[in-house]
Formats: sequence, structure tokens, C-alpha cells
Amino acid sequence: MSTGTLSTGPETSGRGGTAPPSRSLQATWLVARREIRLRARTRVFLTTTAVLLIAVALAVALPAILSSKNKPDRIGVVGDTSTISGIVTEAGRLSGGQAVAVPQPSLAAAEAALRSGDLSAVLVPNSEIIVKQVPLGGVTGSVATLAQLAGLSKLIQTVPGAASAVAHGVTLPVRGLEAPKTSLSSRLTGLFTIIIVWILISVYGSQIAMGIGEEKSSRVVEVLLSAVRPVQLLLGKVIGIGLLALAQAAGMLVVFIVAGFASGSSLVHGATLGVVIAGGVFIVLGYAFYCTAFAAAGSLVSRQSDVNSTILPVQLPLIITYALSYTVVYANSASTFYHVLGFLPPTAPIAMPVLYAAGDVPLWQVAVAAVLTAVGTVWMARIAVRIYANSILRTGPRISFRQAIRESRSALPPAMDADREHRRGRGFRRACRGSRPG
Amino acid sequence: MIAMELEIDGLRRRYGTVTALDGLTFSVPAGQVFGFLGPNGAGKTTTMRAIFGVTALDAGEIRWRGKPVAEAARRTFGYMPEERGLYPTMALFDQVEYFARLHGMDGPSAAKAAWHWIDRLGLSGRGRTRIDALSHGNQQRAQLAVALVHDPDLLVLDEPFSGLDPGGIDDMSAILAERAAAGVTVLFSSHQLDLVEDICEAVAIIHRGRLVVSGLVADLRRGDHPRLAVRVTGDRTGGWSAGIGSAIGTVDSVRADGTAEISLTSTADSQTILDLARAAGPVEHFAFEDRSLSEVFRTATGASVGQAEAEHAAASRTTGVTTGAGL
Repeated sequence: MSTGTLSTGPETSGRGGTAPPSRSLQATWLVARREIRLRARTRVFLTTTAVLLIAVALAVALPAILSSKNKPDRIGVVGDTSTISGIVTEAGRLSGGQAVAVPQPSLAAAEAALRSGDLSAVLVPNSEIIVKQVPLGGVTGSVATLAQLAGLSKLIQTVPGAASAVAHGVTLPVRGLEAPKTSLSSRLTGLFTIIIVWILISVYGSQIAMGIGEEKSSRVVEVLLSAVRPVQLLLGKVIGIGLLALAQAAGMLVVFIVAGFASGSSLVHGATLGVVIAGGVFIVLGYAFYCTAFAAAGSLVSRQSDVNSTILPVQLPLIITYALSYTVVYANSASTFYHVLGFLPPTAPIAMPVLYAAGDVPLWQVAVAAVLTAVGTVWMARIAVRIYANSILRTGPRISFRQAIRESRSALPPAMDADREHRRGRGFRRACRGSRPG
Repeated sequence: MIAMELEIDGLRRRYGTVTALDGLTFSVPAGQVFGFLGPNGAGKTTTMRAIFGVTALDAGEIRWRGKPVAEAARRTFGYMPEERGLYPTMALFDQVEYFARLHGMDGPSAAKAAWHWIDRLGLSGRGRTRIDALSHGNQQRAQLAVALVHDPDLLVLDEPFSGLDPGGIDDMSAILAERAAAGVTVLFSSHQLDLVEDICEAVAIIHRGRLVVSGLVADLRRGDHPRLAVRVTGDRTGGWSAGIGSAIGTVDSVRADGTAEISLTSTADSQTILDLARAAGPVEHFAFEDRSLSEVFRTATGASVGQAEAEHAAASRTTGVTTGAGL
């Protein structure tokens, strides 16, 4: 008798017994495969994948491409440029870019060049600075610095003996008491990463809930459960949809790295790449934690249109953490509350990549949060499978979460009696464990 | 003696204050089309769901070929629920093939079987059509294909005839008969007792979660006491039949046309009755007749199927509990 081959044909022996593990896995995989085949072909999936990949490519490459031009601000100077060109160069340097003085024969010619966009600003020494249009928030960058320096220069020229001071440079060194822990680019990468985490979890989470709502409202679940166990059906669905999400996430990571190197972006070096990888890990963990919760939420409705209202409580921790993340990205240190969120399984998938990107936590704490989330995922799955099995065959009005949890604690769900038989064969301890609150 | 393949033994199930199954017991043999009959709310759907493990039981056991039904056995069962359920956006072939695979068939045989049943049920050329683009009747056929595709040993169909036109009823009963002839155990439910009495060979009739009667349809319709229908010309009330002594038979009812329905104590007494009738006038109708299954139900429970269903509907409204397929 051959033992190496997996039997996939209809079972003709052992009726009345329990299924071998291979058969159980096969059913789960069949469910997963249906999800993948059905969804990967849809226009929605193809479009969102394309949009996300292009968004990542642009987010990585554009800043690098734009900054690599490094075009100096051209500042027109009317009249004598010999003394003033040093001031213009200095203003550019102080503002973090470059500026060059371009001599202009007359004010009229300078204004024409300004209108055509050839010049960024025109300096009329000891008089004024002209720009094409004063921005609403006032001028910034090299022009603002130039205005200060040129004003100072005017002051020096009217005060005798001050000219030598100008020759030695008028700028004062700028010093910060504390340097930022991480660069802005790392923080923005963190923000971008959690936007992806948030999009993937909520988009695919809703797809899980909608799919389960569809199975329940169309009653196809009754036929399905006559052939497979609730846990196989649920796992197959979340694995199938999860693999699609993972494929998209992996695609985005590849595009991030390729586009990063191709454009010479600083994002693919050092700490920033670490942020992206941490984000990748938390996408997987976050999906794993939330997928079963979304499935349970989907199983509570009788009409597919009710799904949106039942998944809202599931999404709430993500929404709150996501909103709070902006304060962390733009502040120099995160609050204690946000630190705590970084270690709680429901909020860690968003909070931890942000904390890491902001340099607020060392790598080992990221690892601890990942382990805690993984443990939380197991607990979530146990509760969710129970709620799902208890609710999926119940019709009538929408079941509340509280009701579903209470009932799933009080008794072994009706649809699980196949599982119960299964466990009975495996001993008392396991049976006890199975009927304990999840 | 026919071997009993499926045994329903003492099933009990309560939903809150509503008792859906109250010690229901009956057996289904192989090779017969077996009708599972009773008014709406009698517990038929709950029983069928219990066979597939999609509803839990408070007590009782369901055995298949002598062993309690478990997962592996269930995959050799085919189920067509009353509330038809298919993925609306999935193509017909994909759907039928998917269920074949879920029941343990390998890829090539699942595909072959799916095409076979699509053709067999008159859906040729629709394999790539989405379910929601099929007509209602064809969706019904698709549902049947899903139940049949893995060549089940036990076929369970909940109200398969509801919503079918006369042609559809003939097609469906032909398929059930064909499967039964192939050795499959076929169990189907219906609340229209008289509609299906010609379709099934044997029945179990239930009421309030309990068995009322079960057996061969022919036996049940004949009854313990043969039914004689006699009409005397000009006697619209069947007044002549008052003279029948209780030792010979009892008058069950008199139809609107004056035909008296008489249960005989013994077939030999029929000539005594004929003499009585002839004495009253010319006899224009004198025949042994079978009872309808709904009369069998009425005789056994004291209520008509319609009364039982009205009672159930009223109870559902007060308790708010819907059990089986319900409303």
C-alpha cells in the first residue's frame, strides 16, 4: 500500500470516523483557492494593486528625483552685484538650498524675468525684494533669509565701521540643544507605512466580512457546512484573502526597494529601510489579528448591507491609533499612552511602526510587541471562530457582539457539533479545553 | 426485510420555549424515494439540518449504516436545503465543481461530474453563466446539481418540489426515482402531502416534532380498514348509510355529492353494504378507494394540515421564534 501519495478521491472507507489532517487541510485550501481565484480576477483588485504600487513608486522616487535637480534659486540683483552676491549665496546656504545672484541691467528687465519664471526673486539693494507673488503664509526659504540678510546689510552700510563685520560674515551659527532622533524622512516613511497597514487591513477585512455576509445571506453557508467544518471555512477564507493582501504588500515592498535604488533615494538606506521592514511584519501580524475579527463581524448579519455597521467596532482601535499617529510623527516624543498602544495587540500594528520610525523605541521592544500581537492573534482567533460558528447559521435580526460573545461562552455552538464529535475521540482534556470560553 | 440505511432515533430539540423535535424516530431504507411529510413547522427542516450537523440536538442520535453520523459520512451525503443557497456571482460550472471538490473528489473527476450533471439537468451551454444570471428554474436545477455532483449515497432534499411547475415536478421526481433505483437512499420533505403521494414509495409523516405514521404509501392509504365509497342516486346527504351497523363499518364522512365514505371492518362486509345501498335506491358509485395522505394525517392527529400550519404560524408570531426554514 502506498503511503506517500495524498488521496484526494472520494472516501470510500472509514465512514463514521473522523477526517485525517490532510483532508482537513485540503478543505481549507479549497476554500482559500476559491477566494483567490474569484478575487484576483476582479477589476477592483487589479486596479487597487496598480494604484498602490504606483503610489509607492512615486512616494519613494519623486522626492529623490526632485531634490537631485538641486536647482539653485536665481535671485536677480539690480545694480552693483559685487558686494551683494555674497549675501545672496549666504541666504541660500542658510535656508538649506542654493541661491545665486544674477545681475540685471534694469528694474524693468528684472521684473520681466521674474514674470517669465526665470528668476525666483529680485533684490533691489537697500530698497526691497520683489517676488512674483507673495504666498499667503509669507515668503519662506532663501527669499525670506535674503530679506533679513539684505536688511542687515542695509543697516551695516548706514552704520559707519560696520562694513568689516560684513566681510567676516554676518550669520550666526544655529545650534539645537537636542538633535532630532530620526530624520523626517524616516518619520514620513513610518507614516506612509501605517497608511498601507491601515488600507490593507481595512480593505481586506471588509472583504472578509462582506464575503461571509454574502455566504450567510445567500444561505450557501448551509450547503458549505454540510461538507466542511466552520473552522475550515473561516480559515480558508481568511487565508485566501490574506494571501492576496500579502501579495500586494510584497509587491509594494519590491517596488519600494527597486524605485528607491533606481532613483537614488535615501529611503532605502539604513534606518528607513528598517521602518519599512517593521511595517511589513506588522502588516502580516495586523492582518492575522484582525481577519478573524472581521469574519466574526460578518457572521452577525443577515443582510449583506448590514456588514458596514458590524465591522465599525472592529475597525475602531485602528482608526483611533491611526489618528493619534500624526501627533507622534510630527512631535519629538510620543506620549506614554501611545507607547502603551504600541504593545497592545489591537493597536500595535499601527502604533509600533510609528514609534520605531520616530526613534522612540529600540528594536527589541518592536520584537516584544510583535510577539504580544502574535499571542493576541491566537486569542482573537479562538473567540472569533466561536462567535462565527455560533452565528453563521442563525437567521433573523442582526446579532449584537455582546450577545454573540455571551452565547459562544455558554455553550458549544450548534454548528460545532461535528467538532465536538471530533474532540470526543481525542480525550477528555481536549474536550474541556474546547468548551472553555475562548 | 429491507435494510434501514438512515436511522433517526429519538431526536429532541428546543428553541427557547418552542419544541421543534420531540423524540422523533423513523428509519429510511435504501433504494426507495422516501417522503418526509408534515405541515410547516412540524420539524422537517430541523431534522434535515441535524442530519448534516448544521443544527445541534438536545438529545437523540442519527445513524448511517448503523454508525452515528460523523464528518466523513456526511461527505457522502448530498443536501439541497429549502432556502436555496449558491454564490450569486460564481459561474455555474465553477460552483458545481467547487462543491464536488469540497466533498472530496479530485480535480479531474470533479470537473467531469460537474459537466455531467450540468448536461443531465438540462443546463448545457450554461456552464460559464453566473448563477444570478440564470432563471429561477435553472437556479433550482443548479442547486440540485450541487447536491448530486459527488454521487452521494444519501440524498436529502428539503421541499424540492416547492415553486416548481408541473413539468419541473415531473423532472424532479424522475431524477429522484432514478437515483433511488441506482441504490441511493433518497429522503425529501414536503408539506404538500397529497402532491407527493404518487412520487414516493414510503413516507414518514410528522407533527409537532413527533412521528405520526410511517410506512409504505400504498399501505397507509389503504389503512387497516378498507375504504368503500358508495353513492345512491338522489340521496345527496347519504342518509341511507345511517343503517350501517358499527360491526360492519363506520361512516367517516359524506361528500358534497352524497358519496358516503365508509371504513369497513372487513372486506367481506362490502356486499352487506351494497345490499343496504341498493335497498335505498339505484347505486351509481360503488368502489374501494384509497385515502389521501392528508386524510391519513387528519385521522391520526385530529387536525387538518391547514389547521396545523395555522397553529404553527400563530405560535411563531407569539414567541417570535422561527426554527427550521421558517418565515
